[in-house]
Amino acid sequence: MQEFDHIQSLWQSHSVEVKISSDEMLSQAKKEVAGIRTRSLFNIAGMVLSFAAIAALLVLFEFNSWATPVGLIIILVAIGISTFVLYKDHAIISRNDFTQHPNSFLEQLKKYQLNKFTIYNKLYWFYAFALSFGFIFYFYEMLESLSLWLQIAISAFTIFWMVLCATILRRSYLKREKERLDLLIEKFERISNQFDEHQ
Amino acid sequence: MEKKDQLFKQIFEANSKKIFHLCYGYTGDEDSANDLLQETFLKVWQNLDKFRNKSLISTWIYRIAVNTCLTYLRSEKRQAKDELTDNIIENRVEEFSEKNEQIALLYKSIAKLEENDRLIITMVLDELPYNEIAEISGISEGNLRVKIHRIKQKLTELYNQHARI
Repeated sequence: MQEFDHIQSLWQSHSVEVKISSDEMLSQAKKEVAGIRTRSLFNIAGMVLSFAAIAALLVLFEFNSWATPVGLIIILVAIGISTFVLYKDHAIISRNDFTQHPNSFLEQLKKYQLNKFTIYNKLYWFYAFALSFGFIFYFYEMLESLSLWLQIAISAFTIFWMVLCATILRRSYLKREKERLDLLIEKFERISNQFDEHQ
Repeated sequence: MEKKDQLFKQIFEANSKKIFHLCYGYTGDEDSANDLLQETFLKVWQNLDKFRNKSLISTWIYRIAVNTCLTYLRSEKRQAKDELTDNIIENRVEEFSEKNEQIALLYKSIAKLEENDRLIITMVLDELPYNEIAEISGISEGNLRVKIHRIKQKLTELYNQHARI
């Protein structure tokens, strides 16, 4: 039969080790947020690269038909507008540091999440239609010299790729992004709520 | 900014071990305790400017930790406490000794207590003064003394029950 004193000495004899330093702890927390920022930046960088590549096509090559540059310009405008919208969305989360201003960061994060869904739901369709339209004009000259089967194959692959991006890839990206953001928002809300209660 | 970093470092070094032990006693699991420790100190870092010296800083941190512990398991719907306690025992198999077995029994017994009682008893085991525990848990000192007496009895009983099995 043991007494409470024995339990207390047992507790005190069990030494626990904190395996993380204060610096590591803060940098680990910052990493989670940085991950979202980095992914958003990669997204923008990809769009800028596509813009540059298509702009180079327009500048460096001469085309026989008016349809080709028109197609390329439509694609460029679509990419340009989407990149600008993505950049504006990125600016929302890059503005402040969550370790300094937790409540305003939480607000921004929620705004970012909402914007992200508007972009990938409403804006995406504008982007997809504009690209399809642009490609139709572009292919008018580009595919002319190719055999019929090759024309069909390239057109079919382009349609297949666009449909794949608009359905499976878009949905799975949105799902993953929502899970990541939900987790972060839940964590920051827990942190802010406690201070609303106590301060 | 550097001043804040320096202050935070000092606060972390002075309090992290006790807070980790509190979280470990509450969850019975090292990984969860680590998550709770980080969340607690993240709150400390973010709200350091709001601390008004009305109480000891350690009391303030304990209060944050207690609240973090209570909301963490509920909102995250973590594993049941029995499952967690089994983890401790499994984790310790390789370093089996009579003392480790007793420690595992102690955590298993703590895990059988109510959530609030678990937090109060870990502070008692860490020899925090009663007035501080009262402030942290928001209970009057008189009520707390009665409560602690009851929890001590319950814990001793549970420990002895497990020791007999």
